[in-house]
Amino acid sequence: MRRFFLLLTVLVGALTAQASEGSDYPYLTFETTDGAKASIPVSSLTMTINGNTLTVGDQQFTLTNLAKMYFSTNDETAAGIENVNNNDNDNYIEIYDLQGKKVGVEMVNGKSLNGQLPKGVYIVKTKEKTYKMMVR
Amino acid sequence: MTKLFKILLLTVIANGQFSIFNFQFSIFTCHAQTLNIRMGSVTYQFPAAQAGEMTYNGGQTLTVMGKIFTLNEVDEMKVDGSEVKDNTVTVAYSGTGASVCVAGNVAQYVEPTVSGAHVSIDQTNTEAVDGDEITYTLSGTTTDGEFALTGSYKCSVALDGLTLTNPSGAAINITNGKRIKLSAKKNTVNTLTDGTGGEQKACIYSKGQLHLQGNGTLNIVSNTKHGIKSGDYIAVKNLTLNITKAMGDGISCNEYFLMESGNVSISGVGDDGIQCDLDGTTSTGETTDHDDEDSGNIYLQGGTLNISTTATATKGVKAAGTLFINETSDTTVLTVTNSGGTDTSDATDLSASACLKSDQAINISGGTLTLTNSGQGGRAINSDGTLTISGGIIDAQSQGSNYGSSSGGGGGPWGGGGPWGGGGSSSSSHKYAKGVKADGNITITGGTLSVYSKNHEGLESKGTITISGGQVSVQASDDAINSAGNFTINGGQVMGYSTGNDGLDANGNFYINGGLVYTIGKSSPELGIDANSEAQKKLYITGGTIVAIGGLESGASLTQACYSSSSWSKNTWYSLTNGNETFAFKTPSSGGTPLVVSASAKPTVKSGVSVSGGTSIFGGMGNISPTTTGGSNVSLSNYTASGGGGRW
Repeated sequence: MRRFFLLLTVLVGALTAQASEGSDYPYLTFETTDGAKASIPVSSLTMTINGNTLTVGDQQFTLTNLAKMYFSTNDETAAGIENVNNNDNDNYIEIYDLQGKKVGVEMVNGKSLNGQLPKGVYIVKTKEKTYKMMVR
Repeated sequence: MTKLFKILLLTVIANGQFSIFNFQFSIFTCHAQTLNIRMGSVTYQFPAAQAGEMTYNGGQTLTVMGKIFTLNEVDEMKVDGSEVKDNTVTVAYSGTGASVCVAGNVAQYVEPTVSGAHVSIDQTNTEAVDGDEITYTLSGTTTDGEFALTGSYKCSVALDGLTLTNPSGAAINITNGKRIKLSAKKNTVNTLTDGTGGEQKACIYSKGQLHLQGNGTLNIVSNTKHGIKSGDYIAVKNLTLNITKAMGDGISCNEYFLMESGNVSISGVGDDGIQCDLDGTTSTGETTDHDDEDSGNIYLQGGTLNISTTATATKGVKAAGTLFINETSDTTVLTVTNSGGTDTSDATDLSASACLKSDQAINISGGTLTLTNSGQGGRAINSDGTLTISGGIIDAQSQGSNYGSSSGGGGGPWGGGGPWGGGGSSSSSHKYAKGVKADGNITITGGTLSVYSKNHEGLESKGTITISGGQVSVQASDDAINSAGNFTINGGQVMGYSTGNDGLDANGNFYINGGLVYTIGKSSPELGIDANSEAQKKLYITGGTIVAIGGLESGASLTQACYSSSSWSKNTWYSLTNGNETFAFKTPSSGGTPLVVSASAKPTVKSGVSVSGGTSIFGGMGNISPTTTGGSNVSLSNYTASGGGGRW
């Protein structure tokens, strides 16, 4: 038992040392000019630029709307559309993509929307509020 | 539990992983993420831990760690596990192209331009760069490429298995004017070749100070001018450097040249092997730690240096300042061969070749030197100033013919040997192939100097000669050792063997106060020891142990008594014993008469002895403290050197 815990101590110590040296950043977080954030896993992540569009993996950003990007240890993306409900006295919402294009209008009936939209960051406007959220 | 421990340990060793209560652990290194931004052949690598906030501006630019990227010029961005070492730039040459990787922390200071395999970098950093200077690591192979560097800060260039040819210019061209460390990485072989007929100054050119180092090998082929050129000093350490071809010098620099260690070989050059000039107009002389030094000095302090030059009037090693040869932390082995003849393009200023040449002085205090000049009029050692020897083992040979004809008081086999004795001087009409020549004084206090001159004087000073230590053995066809001024022997072991003139000759006074002297002069009128009595100069003997075949200058002042034998046997071992000290000497196949000896007391001289043990000196023609057996006593008469000596 003593040898077992000795080994465990050594291994955890090694793991700790490696963790402090490795500085593992699993996400690359993009922030748009209006404050919206989207964290994308960096594993073998490739980005290309075509005109005003930055394609990051299967995500796309408008370059003129991007403010910055940074490596992050956590997913800093905003909450999904499931958080919207009808307690806000709204009976409909408008949904826009980051290019400013309206992609849908939904009636809220006390049910969570299943997210028919593709993954990505959207702007959701209700009568009272505007939300930034991520569909996963 | 012991079994479980072993299983767990083996599992960890095999896989680097283990699982406890559904938690998976790995003890192997997790590679840090790196953002790679590629623009053409150049990739900038930003470690995730350093990148921080990377800002976009109006969809036009992206700034990362101070580096501003124009987005429409970016070909690709990707994140991978690349390892990035701070302060580095790597250049990998491959055929007609080259890939450049720039570490993120210096990205804003490095602007590469890549055209095929021609890489040019503008470096703009200053003291602001965190940590050390930037290191450029070059590797790969190309037959049409280059590495050019501009900027204003020091840096390092590491060759990591690079074979590069630039048919249109220098292989490496660094014009930032700062200190450059150029190294060949350990166990790598690097070969650089430049173009023919270009304007480059060298295959490797650095406007600033150049440190050549590393435990690898660097081969240079230069087709336009110098092999390696620096506008400032060059220092060599550890490196194996082979310059196999250069149209100009092998190595050319200003301020000073320093070799601390390493193996340097220079051959196939069209001019000098190593040349160092002044950068400015006034010499600082040697400074402490060579700080701000501009002396034109050359310091050979260690390592092995082999130089072969063949062109007319070339020098193996040429210093505008003083040439210093010694040993510090490493032994110094210097071998120079020169077969270059005399430059006669200017009839009023002939220039001969030399193995070692200095415009100021030559100072030898250590090392093993083998110097051979077979060029017409060429010298092994040629100092425009003084020559000082206090250590080292020096073998200097001049085997070439003389250029032109003698004039005035010329001596030697083709000059007829007039009343002036030997020591014909080079003039505008000729260059004599002397072994060792100094325009200034020659001072020898230690070391071992062996000189052979096939067709003229062996060791000559246009000033004075003073020997107080060491061992000097000179054989020549003209005067073996000649001074234009006074000649003084206070100590050491001195042999002068002339087959055509005086053994030892002073055009001033000659003083022998101590030491061991063995001299052989040609038959009359030449002498064993000659002073310029024609100009009222004199030979003064006050001490020492002396054997002079060919006699002494007439009118000599012999405070210490001398003795003579009217004849001697050729090719025979003799012994001279004074008290408990014995010196054995072998006579030559020809020489003058009489045989004159002198010691602190009347010595016993025997001929035909057998010699064993002891210490061989004078190239085997002498022996200190041997065991001698046999032989027969030589009858000695008092010698007065009056009106005679070798002159009857």
